Amino acid sequence: MFACLTTPDFPVQAALCSEPEHRRELLKQSPVVVVDGPASLLRVVAANQKARRAGIAIGMTKLQPESFGVVVIRKRSAQYEDAAQTALLDCARSFSPRVESTAPGTVTFDLQGTEKLFGPARHAAQKIALCAREFGFDANIAVAANPGTALHAARGFQGITVIPAGEEAARLASLPVDVLVPSPEILDILESWGIRTFGALAALPPISLSERLGQDGLQLQRLAIGKIERTLVPVEPSDDFTESFEFEDPVETLESLTFILNRLLGQVCMRLASRSLATNELRLKLELEARQVKTGAEKEIYERIWKLPLPIADAKVLFRLACLDLNSSSFAAPVKRLMVEAVPAKPRSAQGGLFAPVSPEAEQLEITLARIRSVVGSADEVGVACVGSPEVLDSHRPDSFMLKSFSTKPAKPVTRAIPASVFVLRLFRPALVTSVEVSNGKPRSVLLGRRLLLVLAASGPWCGSGQWWNASSAWAREEWDVALKTPEGTGFYRVFLDRLRKQWFVEGMFD
Amino acid sequence: MNSAVLLRSQIESRIPSAFAVYRRPQHKFIPTGISQIDDLGGIPLGALTEICGSQLASSGKTSLFISLLAQAATEREMFCALVDASDAFDPTSAEAAGVALSRLLWVRCGKTRQKLPPLEQAFKVADILVQSGGFGLIAVDLGGIPERVVRKVPLASWFRFSRVVEKQPTALVFIGQQPHATSCAGLVLNLKNRPGIWPGNLLTNLCVEAEVVRALDRKPAGSVRPVFSLKSQWA
Repeated sequence: MFACLTTPDFPVQAALCSEPEHRRELLKQSPVVVVDGPASLLRVVAANQKARRAGIAIGMTKLQPESFGVVVIRKRSAQYEDAAQTALLDCARSFSPRVESTAPGTVTFDLQGTEKLFGPARHAAQKIALCAREFGFDANIAVAANPGTALHAARGFQGITVIPAGEEAARLASLPVDVLVPSPEILDILESWGIRTFGALAALPPISLSERLGQDGLQLQRLAIGKIERTLVPVEPSDDFTESFEFEDPVETLESLTFILNRLLGQVCMRLASRSLATNELRLKLELEARQVKTGAEKEIYERIWKLPLPIADAKVLFRLACLDLNSSSFAAPVKRLMVEAVPAKPRSAQGGLFAPVSPEAEQLEITLARIRSVVGSADEVGVACVGSPEVLDSHRPDSFMLKSFSTKPAKPVTRAIPASVFVLRLFRPALVTSVEVSNGKPRSVLLGRRLLLVLAASGPWCGSGQWWNASSAWAREEWDVALKTPEGTGFYRVFLDRLRKQWFVEGMFD
Repeated sequence: MNSAVLLRSQIESRIPSAFAVYRRPQHKFIPTGISQIDDLGGIPLGALTEICGSQLASSGKTSLFISLLAQAATEREMFCALVDASDAFDPTSAEAAGVALSRLLWVRCGKTRQKLPPLEQAFKVADILVQSGGFGLIAVDLGGIPERVVRKVPLASWFRFSRVVEKQPTALVFIGQQPHATSCAGLVLNLKNRPGIWPGNLLTNLCVEAEVVRALDRKPAGSVRPVFSLKSQWA
């Protein structure tokens, strides 16, 4: 069995797909036309049923539908039509792996062997219609024994059509011949003969038809009978999960931007879910209105990439992540275009352990981290992250560390025993500049803040150096552990002499 | 039956919990790895703990916290968070003390040009972490923040923290110079070092005296003053 899904007035539906859902439903109740061509001579290339009933015909200039009153006019967009076609393919792929992109707005796919999954043909067709509806399309669905019959039935009959094997000719008989899309010459000849339906074409004697119209005529007759077999040409599934929206007027407010962003993310996640995928990298691109960018330093494109530690297919989580970032960003100009791209990945398969320690919910953790970053910032002046999991670098240079992304993936168990009761250093970051009075090679007093503190005991010097081959990153120091007499008691500090800068610093306190 | 009893029975029939006595949940504890403190029970889960010590003198408050962190992150495999208001955490020392750094979320406050001062950043982040849940230990290090600034934190903030953390299996630990949470804290430890411990040429020992200023499960709290010794990593 083969199913065909076709969307009538595809350019109109593709144009409306870019609208928010509630607005799209409203627009479907109004006459909508799509115009295309040079800016000076835009012509109607597609119109919905309401518009056609109102008297609008294909080929009219843009001014003519405008004179009809309340007619919604949209400019044709190849990008929207491509996105809509991809969405149709994704919709079909949730029912079958063998999907053919038959024509713009039409996909045919193989339903053989899916009865146990989706039930009888009519049930499967209803599910397909429901899925197409979720993707934002009003589609005609037909199920038949061969792709050609399914295609013509979907094009000719509204709603759901199921044609059992052997009844093709009888069911297709009432369809007009232009559903076969013959060449204009053949259509004129058939018209002059008074042949207007599939049934009339099927009743013609094949030899006479061949003598007058050649092989093309015979081919059309076979199609009209519904007996022609052809091989489906499946398309490779695309890994491009991109959705975009171009604003008619560039937007300045975050509300307008997030409203559209939410919808785009919803569409991307729906497409991912239809392929049983998730994303571990989300890219957001905002094109700014170039004319209003004042300085050359400002970029005209704002781009943000989120690398997620685990695949996520929840549109709400992704939306909150993006919103938190946009809230803390400022743009030099209004936004004219918004693009969302998700890099597909296999969804996470994790089994909760009954005895596993409590851990933050992985999806929620990303939002928590984004919220924290919005409070403390992403990275300090040196470029080291402000939020993350610390990792000590393999270097002799003191205080060498980096922060990597914090995740709740099971870490390698630490096999080393925990040393009992050790005291640790509490750092001053950056180290405090100080002056040290040295007597007999040992520190005698240290200036801490505004206090000159007497050194009770000192241990050192502990010398260290590194990166001597690189003048910019070379370091050499002489460390002392000192006990200082403070007003609050004895304080054990680490001071060091930077031998390159000839300057004393307080590195930290043993606390 | 007098009118008060009648009224009470009528209310209880409609709202059974109206006159129920609120009982605090029984606390579980995380050991600190220092036997003298663990003998007192350790650090309570589902409660706010304050570890206090001097800013100028070495008190052992950071060492006690790191030891607790090692027990929670490494021994108990909990996910821990450290909100570092003054960016004083030393990962090298922590790793040497046995902390599994991969299970630690370190938030460095006051490092970027944000509008909020570090203390407010720290409290906001702590609030986010406590609300998100899933962390076994959340520590807020206010040790480097001047005392006069921390004192201005309204009591309502401490109260909110204590009520939120009460229903979670999380130990919320504040490290500072002085206790501020008053009755909102489940445990308050005040640490100070004992002077004159510097044997030989190397700094190897730090002798600390802990005073239990407040403890929910131990009364009178101040009756116990455990003394313990901390060793250096090279001792």
